[in-house]
Amino acid sequence: MIRTLGRRLLLTVPTLFGVLVVAFLLLNVVPGDPVLEMVGERADSATIARLRAELHLDDPLPAQFGHYVWGVVRGDLGRSYITRRPIARDLAERFPKTVQLALAAMTFAAVTGITLGVLAAVRPGGAFDRIALLLSYLGVSFPVYWVGLLLILLFAVTLRWLPPSGSGGPTFLVLPAATLGMRSVAFLARMTRGAMQDVLSSDFIRTARAKGLPELAVVGKHAFRNALIPVITVLGLDVGNYLTGSLLTETIFAWPGVGRYVLSAIAKRDLPAIQGSILFLSVVFVVVNLLTDLVYAQADPRIAYD
Amino acid sequence: MRLFRLCVATAPLLLAACGSKSGGAASLAYYETYDPRSLDPALSTDVPTGEMVSYVFDGLTAFDVNGKLLPGLADRWTIERSGQRYVFHLRPGVRFHNSRPFKAEDVRATFLRVLDPASTGGRAWPLYPIAGAQAYAARQATDVRGIQVLGDTAVAFDLTEPLAIFPKFLAMPVVSIVPSPAPADLAAHPIGTGPWRFVAWQHDDYLLFAKNPDYWGGAPLADTLSVRIIPEPLTQAAELEAGHLSAVEVPFGEGARWRAQRPAWLQGKPALRVMYVALNNQRGPLTDLRVRQAINHAVNVPEILRTVWDGRGVVARGAIPPLLPGADTARAGFGFDPAKARQLLAAAGYPDGFAVQLWRSSSNIVLGRVAQAVQADLEKVGIRVELVERDASSQRQAARSGKADMALLDWWADYPDADNFLFPLFHSGNFGPGGNYAFYRDPITDSLILRARRTADDGARTALYRQIDERVYRAAPWLYLWFPVDLWAKHPKVEGWEFPVISNGQRWTGVRRLP
Repeated sequence: MIRTLGRRLLLTVPTLFGVLVVAFLLLNVVPGDPVLEMVGERADSATIARLRAELHLDDPLPAQFGHYVWGVVRGDLGRSYITRRPIARDLAERFPKTVQLALAAMTFAAVTGITLGVLAAVRPGGAFDRIALLLSYLGVSFPVYWVGLLLILLFAVTLRWLPPSGSGGPTFLVLPAATLGMRSVAFLARMTRGAMQDVLSSDFIRTARAKGLPELAVVGKHAFRNALIPVITVLGLDVGNYLTGSLLTETIFAWPGVGRYVLSAIAKRDLPAIQGSILFLSVVFVVVNLLTDLVYAQADPRIAYD
Repeated sequence: MRLFRLCVATAPLLLAACGSKSGGAASLAYYETYDPRSLDPALSTDVPTGEMVSYVFDGLTAFDVNGKLLPGLADRWTIERSGQRYVFHLRPGVRFHNSRPFKAEDVRATFLRVLDPASTGGRAWPLYPIAGAQAYAARQATDVRGIQVLGDTAVAFDLTEPLAIFPKFLAMPVVSIVPSPAPADLAAHPIGTGPWRFVAWQHDDYLLFAKNPDYWGGAPLADTLSVRIIPEPLTQAAELEAGHLSAVEVPFGEGARWRAQRPAWLQGKPALRVMYVALNNQRGPLTDLRVRQAINHAVNVPEILRTVWDGRGVVARGAIPPLLPGADTARAGFGFDPAKARQLLAAAGYPDGFAVQLWRSSSNIVLGRVAQAVQADLEKVGIRVELVERDASSQRQAARSGKADMALLDWWADYPDADNFLFPLFHSGNFGPGGNYAFYRDPITDSLILRARRTADDGARTALYRQIDERVYRAAPWLYLWFPVDLWAKHPKVEGWEFPVISNGQRWTGVRRLP
C-alpha cells in the first residue's frame, strides 16, 4: 500500500513539471501585458520600461523559467506583479474558503442526490420517481448563474432568511453550497437510481427477500452498499472540480475562494500568480485523484493496485 | 452573522461599536467590484485602491463629491514665479494614526518613494512636473532638486514650467502622504492621517475601517465603514435591497425596474467620463478626415444611447464632459446623416466603402451591444466592420500598440480638469500607453494644449480648452459617443451620501445610517 502510494507520488513529479512548462509557454504567447495592467490607463514609455526591468520581464525566457522553477523547488511561488504579495500566502488565505464551500456543496449533493436516487429506485415509475427525475433534469439544465441569482432574490431579498452573499458563519454557506451542489445532486440522483435498480434486480437481493429480510434492510444494507461504487466515482470527480475553485458560484456569491483569485490574475496578466495557481491546483487535483483511488480499494475489496 | 464575525475579528478595537445597540446603526457599508491592488498609496493605479487610500490617507489637497479642489494636509498654498513655484503651508497639529506628528519631511519622503522605480507603482506622472523628478525616477539623480522642505511647516515645489493644475495632481491618491520612514508593511497595515483608521482586510471578502476620532477635518459621523468585495452587479443590488449596503450603482438592465419601484432611492449624476471609439488616425482609410467625419455622420449615437445604454448619458460633441469648465454643450455636432456619410466616403474615394476592424473588450456585455449597434449603422453606409472581441488586457494592448483600426473605449478622469481629457488623449507625445489611442497628431493642437497647461488665468485657460476641443472635434479623431450619467441607488436609511464625480471625492465623513 505504502509502496503504491510512493510510486504514484513520484509519478506526479513529471506531470507537475509538464504543467509548469505548458503554463509558462502559454502565458508568454497570450497577448496582453502585466505592466500595462499595472500602470492603469495612462503611463509613459520610460515608466513602462523601468517596470519591465524591475520585474525582470525583459530577461530571456529560459532564464525567467529557470528562475521560476528554482523558486518553486525551494517552495517559493514568487510574488504577484500587481499586488507585490507572496502568491503562496494569497493561495493559503483563499484555499480554506474553497474547501469549506466544496465540502458544504458535496455534503448537500451527496445527501440530497443519494436520497433522491434511492427513493426513486424503490418504486420505479412511481410518483416519487417521476418527481425525482424531473428535479434532476431541471438541476442539470438550469445555468448556475441563473439559479444562484434566483436563490438570492428569493431567500435573501424577499424572505430575508439568509444573507445574499459574502462569507462568515454557516448561514453564508447555504445558498452558494446549494447552487454549486445542484448539478451534482442531479447527476448523483440519476446515478444512484440506475445503480440501485441494477442491484435490486440481481439474484442476491431476491434471495435476501426470500429469506424474509425486512425491505428496509434489503434496500438500505444489501442493495445500497453495492450501488455505492459508481456513486463514489462521480463524487470523486466532483471533489477535484470543486476544490479547484468554482468560478461562477464564487463570483455570484462574492465568496473569497481560489477561483476568483485565478480569474483576476488572468485578467491582469499577473503571470506569477497564474503560474502559482495552476501549479497549486494541479497538486490538489492529483492528490484528490490519488485519494479517490484509495477509497475505491477500501469500498470494494475486488479492486487492488499491486 | 457578518457583524458577529467582524466583532470577533476586531474585538479589541470595536467592542464598543458592535456591543452597543448602536452597532448596526452606526456602521456604513460600501463595496468594490474587485479587491484593491494594495493599501499602499504608491500602488494606487486602480479605482478600489484609490478609494481605500482616500479613507486612510490625506493628500496635500483633496476633492469634494463634485470634484471641487479643497485644501487637505496643506491648508493653503501660494503660487510664485508666475506659476512655476508652489509653496504649500501645512496644517498644524495633524497626527498620523500612530500619534506621530505630520511634518514637511513626510511630504518629501512620500514623493521620493512614489518616484522610486523600486516601489513598482507605475504612476509617478503626477509628480513629473517637479524639477528633477523624472531624473530621480530614472535613477539619474539621488534627490529631487525641485522639492524643498521649509522647516516643519511648509514645502516648496519648483516646476520645470508653469502648471496651473498642479494642485489638482496633488489630490490624487497616489501622492497621499505616508509617514516617513514608511513602515515595511504599509501595503497591508496602512497608517495615514485620514478620517478612517484601518482595521482589517480579508482579501476578496471585505475591508473594515474605524473612525479616526481625532481627524483634523472632524471625526466621521459613523463608527465604522466596511467595504465588501462583490464582483456581480446583481448581487450588489441584492445586498442593497437587503439593507446590507449603503449605496450601489444600479445594474444595467435593472434601471427600468428601479425607476418604477424605488424612484426615491435613485441618484443620477453626470460622470467625468467619456465613451468613444478611437479611430486610428494613422491606419488605412481612417487617415482620411472625410472618412472619419463620415463615420461620425453614419452612426445614430442618440438612438444607441437610448436603447443600448439605458439612456444613461448625454451625447458627446467634444471630449470634455459637461461638468468641467471648457465644455461646450451648445456645439453643433456632426449629427446622424447617412446620406452625407455616403457622400463623404465617395469623395474620399470609397464609394463602395471598405473593411475595417473594431476591437472591443469582452469583459463588458453592454459595451458589446454598443459595438454591434455601431457595426450595424456603419454597414448601412458600406463600411464593413469586423468585430474583434478580446479580453480587456488584449484589447488594450492592441489599441496601445496601434494594431487596432478602431477600438471601443472609455476614459475616466484622474483629476477633474479639462486638461485630463485633452493632454493624454490628443497630445502627440502621448501616443499609445499615454492615452492617445487614436494616434491623433496635430502640431497646433499640441502647442495649444501645452499653452493651456502654462496659462495661470482660469478664464483664459477655459477659453483655450474650448478652442482645443472644438479644433479636435472637427478633425474627428474619434467616433464621439456620449458622456455617461451614472445611476446610483442609496439606501433610504443612509443619510448624507452623494455619488462623487471623482472616485476619491467621497470619504464618508458626513454620512450616517439612521437607526
